[in-house]
Amino acid sequence: MSRTTSRWTRALAVTMTGISLFTVAAASAGEITVWAWDPNFNGATMNKAAEIYKADHPDTTVTVVDFAKADLEQKLQAQLASGTTDGLPDIVLIEDYGAQKYLQSFPGAFEPLTDKIDYSNFAPYKVELATLNGQTYSVPFDSGVTGLFYRSDVLEEAGYTAADLADITWDRLIEIGTDVKEKTGKVLLPFDPNDAGIIRIMMQSAGSWYFNADGSVNIADNAVFKEALSTYQDLVASGITKPVAGWTEYTGSFTSGDTVATPTGVWMVGTIKANADQSGMWGIAPLPKLDGVEGATHASNLGGSSWYVLSSAPNKEEAIDFLATIWGSDADFYQEILVNQGAVGSLMAAREGAAYSESDDFFGGEPVWQNFSDWLGQIPAVNYGIFTNEADAAVIAQIPALTSGGNVDEIAAAIDAQVRQQVQ
Amino acid sequence: MAQSQLARSEQINGWAFVAPALILLGLFMIYPILWSLWMSLQTGRGMVMSFGGFTNVMRLTQDPVFLRALTNTLTFLAIQVPIMLILALLFANALNDSKLWGRSWFRTAIFLPCVTSLVAYSVVFRSMFGQEGIINDMLMNLGLIGSPIPWLADPFWAKVVIVASITWRWTGYNMIFYLAAMQNIDRSIYEAARIDGVPAWARFWYLTVPMLKPVILFTTVISTIGTLQLFDEPNLITLGGPSDSTLTLSLYIYNLSFKFMPSFGYAATVSYVIVVLVGILSVIQFFLARDRRA
Repeated sequence: MSRTTSRWTRALAVTMTGISLFTVAAASAGEITVWAWDPNFNGATMNKAAEIYKADHPDTTVTVVDFAKADLEQKLQAQLASGTTDGLPDIVLIEDYGAQKYLQSFPGAFEPLTDKIDYSNFAPYKVELATLNGQTYSVPFDSGVTGLFYRSDVLEEAGYTAADLADITWDRLIEIGTDVKEKTGKVLLPFDPNDAGIIRIMMQSAGSWYFNADGSVNIADNAVFKEALSTYQDLVASGITKPVAGWTEYTGSFTSGDTVATPTGVWMVGTIKANADQSGMWGIAPLPKLDGVEGATHASNLGGSSWYVLSSAPNKEEAIDFLATIWGSDADFYQEILVNQGAVGSLMAAREGAAYSESDDFFGGEPVWQNFSDWLGQIPAVNYGIFTNEADAAVIAQIPALTSGGNVDEIAAAIDAQVRQQVQ
Repeated sequence: MAQSQLARSEQINGWAFVAPALILLGLFMIYPILWSLWMSLQTGRGMVMSFGGFTNVMRLTQDPVFLRALTNTLTFLAIQVPIMLILALLFANALNDSKLWGRSWFRTAIFLPCVTSLVAYSVVFRSMFGQEGIINDMLMNLGLIGSPIPWLADPFWAKVVIVASITWRWTGYNMIFYLAAMQNIDRSIYEAARIDGVPAWARFWYLTVPMLKPVILFTTVISTIGTLQLFDEPNLITLGGPSDSTLTLSLYIYNLSFKFMPSFGYAATVSYVIVVLVGILSVIQFFLARDRRA
């Protein structure tokens, strides 16, 4: 008898657990899942947005799942390709270079937001990036406006001030780097031979890209691209660079003081400021200019990303409302993430706020946000196309040839051939 | 009459018993294989595909990345498999000596790498071979090198790291096969040889190795297949870089499907290259190791 009872109790317990699990599932209807990379930057801003949204929507929780960028992209692509939507998030962060690739190769996977967000508030180039056949799919987020980040204390030791770095060319930077190395023994720049970021920066700063506006390949006869390649070659040959492997070694080399500068996107601010003991030792100069190239500027872009809602998302409506309310119109929110994470958003109204004119003691009291905002307005527009990953891989494949002193024309021709082969 | 009825019922029962296995095999093995063969004839971007006939095969012949991946894969195969198998054979021979102290401890230690977590060991290797990693520190302290070797940032050294890591991981696995086979060799053969004054190296070379021939063939085929499919280490330790120097065929297939503009048809074509290579190399190996007595 007691055995029967216990069996009944057990069955009851199982049923109750089942019911309670079901209720938990029902209660978590207000849970928005977000995939993003870089917890110090993207993750932190998303959490801030969730915090603000929660004040009016106490039932909503936003869970940010953190991945490495490459892992996130590959996981997303693998799941979309398999057609299994289980386990996909509600919101996903996509880097601008890859936006059109996702939109064009997975039709119907992302939710058009054209009538949910007022796109006239955003920087037009960001909206353009996520528009396909008249529908816009993203909530534009950060810009990757670039600058030259440097250790002002080390450069000062070698006798250079901020004025010496303003409006220089890459050739001048090489001279400075050589001098700094002689005087302080420190190497100027870290280079990852597995990353073509610096070549993309140089190219865009003169308004050029791997592809023409119509999407056709523009490499072998691209004078700007070849100048970028030969500048890269000069930088390495001058001995002011240090090879690093992967992101961790790259960021580690300049946050540890091993190297003293790096040209990169504004989003690096968060990583640099995470080392509070280096406050006041950093400066940000305009990007050096390509020598002898028509249309060369001191402004460029590296990376930058936007939020996308998946059509299959279980909490789609809520996710859209969340993005539209905070990311789509809350200028105060952008002020806050600018100061805390160095996030230069692309909501135009946010640029008029007080935070932009403030100076930052970490960067020697310069009005860094105002500067970045000025450079942002000068970035030449280019068409990233849908094959930037392929072109990047082709450039990376030729980097050993480049650094061992190969002929730039031949290298450009080899890259051109590989890209043409890959884009079919 | 009764006989044939029994036979028929046996036949039906027989098929009924194997049917579940056959259905599963067909569904999860034969169907995907046929489907991938069909896919390899298609071209297109992402989910938008159309029939392309032999376009993908033509594309293969003009693809510099494919040729690099193929060269790398074959280089790994030609260098790593012999090193690993010879090492495994030597280890097995040493550990087969019953007088060796701590024998089982050494066996476990050498076997352990192939059951460790792949991701964990890759992370450890990455940090060991970093610019400021323990390997560089050690070599510098021993005075063998003057400046740190850029293990993961140099095309040549990155290949060396990959070869070292696969060898580390799989030597013990092959050693176990050899050990098992060696223990089946009759001790009296060695005793006779010893009495006749055959030196140790000759006993190894003229007795052990020939008697292990079937096992050596087996491990060679298995290792060849494994190396042709090499994916994990290049993906986790070097990401195929620097500059495609450690890009393998499997990694290229992965990139074509999940990193670049998805091109599943072409990726399927590349994967059939591996199938063909495995076939050809296995036949060659069987041919070389065939029994000549008959």
